[in-house]
Amino acid sequence: MDAAIRAVLGYFFLILVVRVVGRRPGKQLTPFEFVLIFFIGGLALTAIVGDERSFTNAICQVVAVALAHYAITWTRSRSPRFARLVDGTPLILLERHEWRTQTLERMHIADADVMFAARDHGLSSLSEIDSAILERNGDISILPRTGNG
Amino acid sequence: MASPAFKTPVTDSVAKINHELAVGEDLAFQRKWWRFERALWVLFVMIIALDCMGAFGRGPLAKSQIESADRAIEADYERIERTGTPSMMTVKVNEAAKVDQIELFVSDSAVSGLGLQRVIPAPETTKIGSGGFTYRFPRGSLPAVVRFEFQPVGAGFYHIAVGKPGEALMHMTVAVVP
Repeated sequence: MDAAIRAVLGYFFLILVVRVVGRRPGKQLTPFEFVLIFFIGGLALTAIVGDERSFTNAICQVVAVALAHYAITWTRSRSPRFARLVDGTPLILLERHEWRTQTLERMHIADADVMFAARDHGLSSLSEIDSAILERNGDISILPRTGNG
Repeated sequence: MASPAFKTPVTDSVAKINHELAVGEDLAFQRKWWRFERALWVLFVMIIALDCMGAFGRGPLAKSQIESADRAIEADYERIERTGTPSMMTVKVNEAAKVDQIELFVSDSAVSGLGLQRVIPAPETTKIGSGGFTYRFPRGSLPAVVRFEFQPVGAGFYHIAVGKPGEALMHMTVAVVP
């Protein structure tokens, strides 16, 4: 019982920490983000598992985390407020050729990150972008400037 | 016959920017979240500062010392300990202890609460009773040091008593954090 509660608490704590550490743009994790994810996971594991190395404990903890994850997913799909809390909200970085400076600063995103996403869409300069949006999963969506824009 | 698929018409349920772009951005919520994040970072820094000071054990704030009324025995211990983490209590018997053999009484809570693992050096005899254990050590030259190694099994507050049997004991309260 105690181990299952520890696992669920650890799961919620990791969700909070990863949510606060923030979204980084890009479809793939950078090496230092890999280090962060594995290191945080490893550190949390020592406290969550403790000295209970039994197969039963592992099964109970995995099931407890699976249930907690299912509960979060279920609530998220039914409550837009909860979804916003867990996933955040999409954020506009560039709108009609103007930067949203506060959003860029707070989300630690540079114009080079936006340009990286633009190149992925076959654009060769920032002036060809109409809007750039930081999505909830960290991707940057690019809407190219149209002819009359 | 195949069962019908469940369908609903598509509506503009995602909020638009400038009536054009369906993004669903909620800047008011995001600003509140940024404020929450800042408060959380301050909390994180405070947690680390308190940890370095020993507020959660293993630091200067966690260490404590107590001495018997006749100053014959003194104990260095950790008043804040961590679950499952080894710690040491050092009991020093000074020259003021006019005894032929060193005897130390330790209350049962040292075992049940703080998870006493071993006593160094190994006692000659151990007697049980009176709510604890009385260890007898062969006497050498004083001062002599006896170490008690703990490994607490659970969080909570534990009261332990240490001292010469039959005399006023030193009482300590140890907080064990999860």
